Amino acid sequence: MNWFYFSSPATFYRLAGWLAPWFFGLAAVLTAVGLYYGFIVAPTDAQQGEVYRVIFIHVPAAWMSMFLYFVMAAYSAASLTFNTRLGAMMARSLAPTGALFTFVALWTGAFWGRPTWGTYWAWDARMTSELVLLFLYFGFIALSNAFEDPRRGDRAAALLALIGLVNLPIIYFSVHWWNTLHQGSTVKLTGTSMHVAMLTGMLLMVFAFWTYSIGAALTRVRSIILERERRTRWVRAL
Amino acid sequence: MNHGFYLWMSYGATAIALAIEMATLAARRARARRLIEEERDLEAQD
Repeated sequence: MNWFYFSSPATFYRLAGWLAPWFFGLAAVLTAVGLYYGFIVAPTDAQQGEVYRVIFIHVPAAWMSMFLYFVMAAYSAASLTFNTRLGAMMARSLAPTGALFTFVALWTGAFWGRPTWGTYWAWDARMTSELVLLFLYFGFIALSNAFEDPRRGDRAAALLALIGLVNLPIIYFSVHWWNTLHQGSTVKLTGTSMHVAMLTGMLLMVFAFWTYSIGAALTRVRSIILERERRTRWVRAL
Repeated sequence: MNHGFYLWMSYGATAIALAIEMATLAARRARARRLIEEERDLEAQD
């Protein structure tokens, strides 16, 4: 199979249109099952009570905020290195969804923090570096739209995305490097101390957010392709 | 302790944020379609 076939906006447009509804559908099913596990199957936490159920959106949103930034930076690097149009368009399409999940992670963290730590916000290393991530997403979106020539916007934003990559290990290791209010990692490659039903619900929601992100990015990139390629024959023939 | 407020604020805000994103996706799609129509009109005038 020639994978470069799909690097053309015209062919990717059709592929994205075919795939996006499947990912949205899968996201809806995974969300329903994940919430069933999170609210019905998973037991009440002995220390935190019911409020711990915020983790079923807080943790997946926080993971997605970092993962989407990494993918956005990878597409940015590809667009800079190989001068690919589609790479830059994909990076642009991921940014709003990444910003959304960063906001959700910060917001839900605040509403988890108030009953458990006694405060909505603290200038703790994990929270502050996550807030920096939100500003990086905003900066990427603003910079990519700041130029009349979209290709110049693509290059400027791609550079910012690559520079901002340094923030990802800071977010991840902040709870190890500094003495933070935020707890350390509960789920590790070596295992977890979580109840199996809690872990199942959380992982289902991670996959739900992941498939939703793919669906949203594919839908958005189709609009970006149409906007950019509107003077081409294949778009006018649609 | 009643944790309903914190749970509703978390899940409610997430649902609203996702609904807003879906609405912006639809709005952007409509805008792209409008731009193509404008291009077609310009072409027809030439």
